[in-house]
Amino acid sequence: MPWYETVLIYGVIPLAVFLLLAVATLLPGRGKDKTRYRPGQPWEHETVWYEPHSGVPGVPGGHGDDHGGSHAPGLGATAAALTIGEHPHETDAHRRTAAGGARGTW
Amino acid sequence: MTQQLEHGPSATKDTRNTAVTEPGSGPFSYRDLARIDEALTLSSKETGLRFTLYVGDLGRDTRAFAEELHSRSGGDPSNTVLVALSPGQRVLEIVTGTAAARRLPDRACALAVLTMTGRLGAGDLTGAIVNGLRQLSDSAGHPSRRRAH
Repeated sequence: MPWYETVLIYGVIPLAVFLLLAVATLLPGRGKDKTRYRPGQPWEHETVWYEPHSGVPGVPGGHGDDHGGSHAPGLGATAAALTIGEHPHETDAHRRTAAGGARGTW
Repeated sequence: MTQQLEHGPSATKDTRNTAVTEPGSGPFSYRDLARIDEALTLSSKETGLRFTLYVGDLGRDTRAFAEELHSRSGGDPSNTVLVALSPGQRVLEIVTGTAAARRLPDRACALAVLTMTGRLGAGDLTGAIVNGLRQLSDSAGHPSRRRAH
């Protein structure tokens, strides 16, 4: 076996496999971490309030039909974000409705 | 029930399309938004409770603020579960209404909070939300199955 064949089999092929795997693992994850949150950083994003998709049968309290989707037009039917202070729902705001829950910090 | 399950995949597809095409300036990528939306909708559908998610500042008295949010969260507040997180303050509040609290006792909420804070501490907002919602809906169970017991 000539020397270059040895180099080809034991050097170039493993290197090619290594590079192929490196490309396959490193490339897909690039540029995805832009919106990542890191604890301790100040939170400068807009306040959002998501509610379940109201058009789906079985989801309780969907209000899409009674309001005609008039609020938050930019967000479509899904994940309708309610800006705070908008009072989209007709409830008396001062009645306490909370009965339980939990609290945590991190 | 069967009918609802049949509608599941179409709702998911619909959700994904809207989340991808709509521009958003918020903290979440389109992919994250799709996951969150799916988690919210599916857990609400599975349990019959209404889950809403608030992400933003919770003021000085976070509990009072979260309870006030819960009182005007729309629909039937007693059947609503509010998951409010303030990443700036590093506070997470879960508020349950009177009917929801019977299905989701405080202990179940505390367990979900524990799951979520573990992930939030690692910076994984979306994972925390999705897993927290999954755990809450698992604890609450299915309404008809619970009635059968």
